[in-house]
Amino acid sequence: MASNSIHSNLLPKSPFNHFQTSSYLVGSFPAGILQVRVGFSNSRRVPSYSCIKCEKKDEYNIEHVSVERPPYYSYMDSTSGQLEPASGARASVPEQEYWPEGTASQVRAARAPAPGGESSSSPSYGSKPGSRRKNYRVAAASSSTIDVGSSDPAPSDEASLEESIEDTQDSSSEFVVYQSEPEEEETGYDLDKKLGNPHPFIDPRVKKKIEGTLPDEELWWNWKKPEKEQWSRWQRRKPDADTVFLKAMAETGQVKLYGEHPTLTETSLYRARRHLYKEERLQAEEDRLEEVGPIAYYSEWVKAWRGDTSREAIQKHFEETGEDETAQLIEMFSHQTDREYRIMMGTDVRIKRDPLAMRMKEEQIKQIWGGDPVYPTVNYIQDPNEVIDYRGPDFHEPTPNMLSYLMEHGHIITRDELNSILAKEKPEQHEVTDVDEAMAKAVDIGENDDEEDSDVEDEEEDGEEEEEKISRNWSVLKSTPELRQSKAKAKKEGPMSLDEAIDDSENLTDFLMDFEEEQE
Amino acid sequence: MLTISKKPPWMFFPDIIPIGHPIFDIINSTNPETDWDLRLACLLLYAFDCEDNFWQLYGDFLPSADECTSLLLASEDELSELQDPDLASTMRNQHQRALEFWEKNWHNSAPLKIKRLARDPRRFMWAVGIAQSRCINMQTRIGALTQDANMIIPYADMLNHSFEPNCSLHWRFKDRMLEVLINAGEKIKRGDEMTINYMSGQKNEMLMQRYGFSSPVNPWDVIKFSGNAQIHLDSFLSVFNISGLPEEYYHNNCLANDGDTFVDGAVVAAARTLPTWSDKDVPPIPSSERMAVKELQQECRQMLAQYATTSKQDEKLLDSMPNAPRTLEAAIKYRLHRKLFIEKAIQALEIYQDRILF
Repeated sequence: MASNSIHSNLLPKSPFNHFQTSSYLVGSFPAGILQVRVGFSNSRRVPSYSCIKCEKKDEYNIEHVSVERPPYYSYMDSTSGQLEPASGARASVPEQEYWPEGTASQVRAARAPAPGGESSSSPSYGSKPGSRRKNYRVAAASSSTIDVGSSDPAPSDEASLEESIEDTQDSSSEFVVYQSEPEEEETGYDLDKKLGNPHPFIDPRVKKKIEGTLPDEELWWNWKKPEKEQWSRWQRRKPDADTVFLKAMAETGQVKLYGEHPTLTETSLYRARRHLYKEERLQAEEDRLEEVGPIAYYSEWVKAWRGDTSREAIQKHFEETGEDETAQLIEMFSHQTDREYRIMMGTDVRIKRDPLAMRMKEEQIKQIWGGDPVYPTVNYIQDPNEVIDYRGPDFHEPTPNMLSYLMEHGHIITRDELNSILAKEKPEQHEVTDVDEAMAKAVDIGENDDEEDSDVEDEEEDGEEEEEKISRNWSVLKSTPELRQSKAKAKKEGPMSLDEAIDDSENLTDFLMDFEEEQE
Repeated sequence: MLTISKKPPWMFFPDIIPIGHPIFDIINSTNPETDWDLRLACLLLYAFDCEDNFWQLYGDFLPSADECTSLLLASEDELSELQDPDLASTMRNQHQRALEFWEKNWHNSAPLKIKRLARDPRRFMWAVGIAQSRCINMQTRIGALTQDANMIIPYADMLNHSFEPNCSLHWRFKDRMLEVLINAGEKIKRGDEMTINYMSGQKNEMLMQRYGFSSPVNPWDVIKFSGNAQIHLDSFLSVFNISGLPEEYYHNNCLANDGDTFVDGAVVAAARTLPTWSDKDVPPIPSSERMAVKELQQECRQMLAQYATTSKQDEKLLDSMPNAPRTLEAAIKYRLHRKLFIEKAIQALEIYQDRILF
């Protein structure tokens, strides 16, 4: 029904529609009127208008031309105060007063028509100079006409200015007069040339194409001219959604347009109709829902439900099982697939929801909604299931657990381990003091020993705290050389393994087997 | 078509380029500063020989050898008809020079390409005459160079000469064209003759020598007066309503309201050439004034008497010879104009005597 009326309304040929179209206000649709008209067109078929002839009214004979509004805004030109021409057109050519110096005379000279006379004699090409000079003294007293052969002298630029001769000159003068040819109508190129109108250089009738040029397709840069010969890309159509939709509809044959592209009128009509039809359709759907009942209504989207969905059946079921409508509805929906659900809810863009209107071409879709911003071309499309750079489940954890990391990598030891190491270290120190009596007797001023003892004491007292300090604040460890050294010393225990040696060493120079210096 | 009478470097856009033609060497052998007319003549002759050249067509409208009044083509007795020995000798020299040039370059063993340009010396003379009389000498600026160009320009050289011209020639730098400018205040309608001033400030002799014509109303003509008689300049000028500076005397029409047609270029020339005195506002003494006038008139009459013929006789002679060769006609006219001028001076002095207010 809808498509039929669209057809009938957009056909321009019938006078009935002309009449209708003309009375629309382009661009603004008082919906009330439109509804009337639409209803009008739906119910009434086109009568044979030609048979009704009351009186000759101008109204019916006016040719209704739909004038398309230009696709731009109109401005007033600041210089002339007139309506500014379409954007991109050149400014108006100024008047003669504004032309630069010499232009006026150039124009006048260019407009001067070519002398149109016939020469009486033919040129001698340099052999007989002066052969074609005109006789100035035509019918004067002097019998110059006797000598026809010799060119009869007219006073040339060496003319003497005696008044008598001047008088004869003036009286008989036709300076260089050509007989003008009889007036024959010149048209087109010749007329333009004669009048001085703008014309091409070469007469288009005579013009030959330049030989040796390739046709456009064979040119190496293969530049196709844009269609419609626009000199600016801004002049091309900038379609909006409705126009593209309408064009697509026209292409699939659901709508008939007057021309190739939908005009503004047609687009507005379409938009209005679509709105109205949508409302109608929604209303109809709602009515149907009310009429048929929800289960029957929604069973459209549950293909798996083959039970009877009429109201009577539901009633019966209710009576039988005590499940009311809602419960039955829920049961029905449990048979629905997610695809159907998405279709029903209309939330899946991958599933086309509008089978009626059109299958739009990708180009048309792009015109309205643009291309995919993320993957604009095929090259950008990636496999969504591709495993890319899997860093682990807690890759995006903001603060990793450094303690466990360090423990893992052996940069930190537990307090117990430390204590055990220290315990092992202590007897070593005592051995040293036993050996050297002199040293034992001496007052202990040594720095190292002081630190060691203090550190040992400290460690025994605040061992835990220090451990914690050490483990929490590496910066403390860095800035306090005592702590670092104690730690190093605590680790010393007999022959060290290779790893320990590497850890202890400052750099590779420590392994240089220099026994003079102590390895630290 | 043009030549430049200057030492190189030159700058011009020539349309006739005789490259590859032996005339090129001939032209090169001349001195650009002095032999410009010979060079132009060679170029003209070469242009006549160039195929598809505009000058071939335009040559038909140049005056032919019969029509040309240039004295180069005049014979000996025609030169004697001038009744002016100086001019005659000048012309003879010029003729000789051209003839020598022709003989030097168009000798028997000259290539045919050269020979056919000017088969006889008369054609060459004609070419030189055309070059002299029809060329336009201007200071033209092309690019950065201002050079002395002698140009033969096709339709601009058809303009006649007048001492009160309504047009002048101007070299337009920006598109390198010569434009004919209408003088200020002149209105030229269809059918009016447009005239320019060929040479300003020269006497009839120079005009005759260069262009082959003379004028009775040349305001720069000169009469050599010997003697001490002098007339008062200011009164002479006021009698004839001649105003302006001495370089640019003109007849003031506003002052003379009686339609006086007596004052023309000859009277202006008389005002210039007559020996005059002017001492601010010292008034002329009537008696000495009259005496001076009489003396001058006497002198003029003497000058006239020295001519073989009178002006009346010359006029009759001209009338009796309708088909005289153009050079002869020009020569006779020359001396006629000279006499007319002197007669006019006498007449002017007469009127001056009558009208002077003491």
